[in-house]
Amino acid sequence: MGTKKYKFYLVALLISITALSCTKVIDLKLGNVAGQLVIEANVTNANGRQFIQLSKNVPFTNTNTYPPVTGATVSVTDNQGNTYPFTEGPAGSYYSTAFAGVAGNTYTMTATTNGTTYTASSVMPALVPLDSLTFKKNAFKSTNNLREITVHYQDPPGIANQYRFILSVNSVQVKDIFVLNDAFSDGRYVDFDLVENDTDIHPGDTATVEMQCIDKAVYTYWFTLMQQQFNSPGGEVAPSNPPTNITPVCLGYFSTHTTQRETIIVR
Amino acid sequence: MAKALLFILLSLATLPVFAQKKFTINGTIEDAATGEKLIGATVKIKEQPQNGTITNAYGFYSISVASGTYTLVYTYIGYQPVEQEVVLDKSHAIDISLHAKNELTEVVISSNKPNNDNVASPQMGEEKLNMAQINEVPVLLGEKDILKTITLLPGIKAAGEGNTGFYVRGGASDQNLILLDEATVYNASHFFGFFSTFNSDAIKDVTIYKGGMPAEYGGRLSSVLDVKMNDGNNKDYTVQGGLGLISSRIKIEGPIVKDKGSFMISARRTYIDLFLKASSDSTIKGSSIYFYDLNAKANYHFDDNNAIYISGYFGKDVLALKNTFGTNWGNSTGTVRFNHLFNNRLFSNTSIVFSNYNYAIEDFESDNYFKATSQITDVNFKEDLQYSMTSNHTLKFGLNVLHHTIAPGDITTNSTSSFNDVSVEQRYGYENAAYVSDDWRVNSKLTLLYGLRLSGMFLLGPGTFKTYDAAGNTLTSATYSSGQLVKDYFNLEPRISASYLLSDVSSIKASYNRNTQNIHLLNNSTSSTPTDLYVMSSNNIKPEIADQVSTGFFENFKDNTYEFSAEVYYKWLQNQIDYKDGAQLIVNPDVESLLTYGTGRAYGLELFFKKKYGRFNGWIGYTLSRTELKFAAINNDQYFPATQDRTHDLSVVGIYQLNKRWSFSSDFVYGTGNAVTYPTGKYEIGGLTTFSYSGRNGYRLPSTNRLDIGATLEGKEHKKYHSSWTFSIYNVYAHRDPYTITFRDSKTVPNTTEAVETSIFATRIPSVTWNFKF
Repeated sequence: MGTKKYKFYLVALLISITALSCTKVIDLKLGNVAGQLVIEANVTNANGRQFIQLSKNVPFTNTNTYPPVTGATVSVTDNQGNTYPFTEGPAGSYYSTAFAGVAGNTYTMTATTNGTTYTASSVMPALVPLDSLTFKKNAFKSTNNLREITVHYQDPPGIANQYRFILSVNSVQVKDIFVLNDAFSDGRYVDFDLVENDTDIHPGDTATVEMQCIDKAVYTYWFTLMQQQFNSPGGEVAPSNPPTNITPVCLGYFSTHTTQRETIIVR
Repeated sequence: MAKALLFILLSLATLPVFAQKKFTINGTIEDAATGEKLIGATVKIKEQPQNGTITNAYGFYSISVASGTYTLVYTYIGYQPVEQEVVLDKSHAIDISLHAKNELTEVVISSNKPNNDNVASPQMGEEKLNMAQINEVPVLLGEKDILKTITLLPGIKAAGEGNTGFYVRGGASDQNLILLDEATVYNASHFFGFFSTFNSDAIKDVTIYKGGMPAEYGGRLSSVLDVKMNDGNNKDYTVQGGLGLISSRIKIEGPIVKDKGSFMISARRTYIDLFLKASSDSTIKGSSIYFYDLNAKANYHFDDNNAIYISGYFGKDVLALKNTFGTNWGNSTGTVRFNHLFNNRLFSNTSIVFSNYNYAIEDFESDNYFKATSQITDVNFKEDLQYSMTSNHTLKFGLNVLHHTIAPGDITTNSTSSFNDVSVEQRYGYENAAYVSDDWRVNSKLTLLYGLRLSGMFLLGPGTFKTYDAAGNTLTSATYSSGQLVKDYFNLEPRISASYLLSDVSSIKASYNRNTQNIHLLNNSTSSTPTDLYVMSSNNIKPEIADQVSTGFFENFKDNTYEFSAEVYYKWLQNQIDYKDGAQLIVNPDVESLLTYGTGRAYGLELFFKKKYGRFNGWIGYTLSRTELKFAAINNDQYFPATQDRTHDLSVVGIYQLNKRWSFSSDFVYGTGNAVTYPTGKYEIGGLTTFSYSGRNGYRLPSTNRLDIGATLEGKEHKKYHSSWTFSIYNVYAHRDPYTITFRDSKTVPNTTEAVETSIFATRIPSVTWNFKF
């Protein structure tokens, strides 16, 4: 169930009523634990060059540019005996030759850098078709004639499914994280409202949604990030690095997932 | 085991009187004007200053002394004392009516000597607030509030600005036992904690125990907040009420049968909704947001030995966004009590108590329709006995059988919804306890209050009960039939406090107590959200245990007009609960797999200086403290500061009575900011700037401070009615107290990040309330 949505409503109501809240940008002295390895590894069901990125984190006060980790040895194997070596393209970006992940196969990523070998496994879930996208008046910003996007799909009954959605408006990725599992909607035809707090969607905008079917560990990873991202006044759980499926522990994740895209012109 | 203990207790109670030539004086003390029984009023024997007693929760007292002629002195704060001579050649029943003084005469009457109870009583960590004082302290939007006022006392901290949640000596907010006429109030907040469920009009007495809990209380680690409702005027009918900025309230009370029985009904409702109607946004306009409270009580005294009290509370919050989404939550409680005097020294109270907390969340959109509900229901049987054994021993003993029914979550949907119907198994259990305690005035200097509480927790079927490993995987799963015992826990909880008088006006005190807790709140949000989920101790969750030692120095000055106290405490906490990453607590049958367990320690120094009497009164409270937790799964198994850890906490409260009509009040608070976790770096994942963290709660929000002022104008005196105006300004110098600090991509400088501080009451908030009584 999209608990995020309801928290969002509660908090928005609360703020609109107190009408006394205010925000300002402040300077803070923050600690500096930089130079930690970040691995972002994805294998999708789309036939093409798969991509793994190795980088390092930086202090909060730096610009958003992250040093690449070069010269690593990166590969992915599957439980069918195939090995897919990844070679470094632009610094820190590692590419395979073209292949497509197959539902039900277990993929294992291995990355060796600076004398340490990092591994992670992920099972490619079966594809659940993205039925359609629709738009409707944004319930909360209705007066401003803004829109929100709804994703529609048929959840398959009897198996646990996890989904991640990436929303882009006019080709700019919306910064909200959307993940959902079927704990409350197994076997249902699902209408999932992408309630976001990052941008305004107007009539005439082009909205694109990428739907990913992800495995459980990766769902927990994104769900944790989503909980932290939605930091309502009053505070939520103390944030921490989301639980990774990579050992030894580093920042990032390894995900095998399906991918589908749908675009809609908002009216 | 409980049966054996009860047997011992009862045999003890029927023991013959040890001293043969002693006689007993017993009776009740009440307000002369309204007939309200006075709780905690003092009875002293002038000729034997070391002997004395106080009235219990029903205004009852009993004292036994050798034959002779004595002068009994009856005193109660804010009332004119009464002296009564008695020739004790047989036992007497003496009921006393005390007259309330108005504030001004109090200054003039010098014969009214304040007493030194605070110094002499062995009770530690106890704070009593009288309602007159609570009504004077300025508060947000003019809604006088006992929960906000108690956070101005040392050792008690507000959970957040404008929040009625509170932390006592480092304990979490679910570790406070909040009782309203003996019924547990599970969620004592309205509107996300900005207001409390306690409508001051209906409240007679508020006592909070921060440590040294008497043995009759149990079930929570940190504190007991014991709130008692007014009985109702048994002499005259009165109506009183108030019109405020956000709410109105009304109270009606009067005799059922004059001097024998009375009733009280008190109601309050907010009209925040009206603000919504003014909104330009049609959705907000069509939304609803309000809460209401209803308190009712009735009592009847059949004769001198038998009385019945029936009281209840019902409150609800409703919040809905037009055609989209709605939620409501509320508490209801009901208490039936029967007082019986077996003889002039054995007082009994039998209670049957009902308590419920429930919430519902509903999505009205047809493609997402669902309604999720959750509730906890308690039925509690209590038997409490008080035996005034000799002039220097007062025994209290009793037992308690408390049945919990928890419905963790049910979801109902319709055919067009995206969701399925879900029902998480209900849980049933008993929390039973037996206790005995003795208030022993050893000699004129030393007083001991010692006791023992045995608590038992019994988790019962039916249902499927699982155990989980540290990673949250299911280890075992077993099905139990209805009433079958799943898990039990027994705990012995010793309680002892002692006071030693150094002089008439100074004493040292020390106490040790163990408390256990078998009902745990799961809510991974620090704000007061309605989605409170309670779980009982189980195969996975062990009872929380706290051991507290404290010691203090107490001194009064200038004829007991000024009080000073310094207390230090140290608390060890076991089996504390936190959550794993990504924990989804709502409607989750495997919620116990998401928990992780650890220990904690809390220690501190509390200084309190109070002027109780006079035209100018008030207090200064200061706390220096530390609260740390340790979990294997968090912060590399190292101690980290709890969110509620607050190094410094200062409260200053002043009330000044200018003349008969005008009084002024002010409070100032300062506190170290909450412990928080800030990022120590950032990286990019999934195309999004993401923050990295090292360690838990390594940073502090900026310190908080705020000044509020208030004034009360009493209307001109009329025979038939009385009115008054209350004015207040919250946050006089418009200080921005940070509520949260969040981190995001900069909205102004591309490719950088920024920290954003949100304040909620960053401005002066004036308010005015008109009160009436006739």
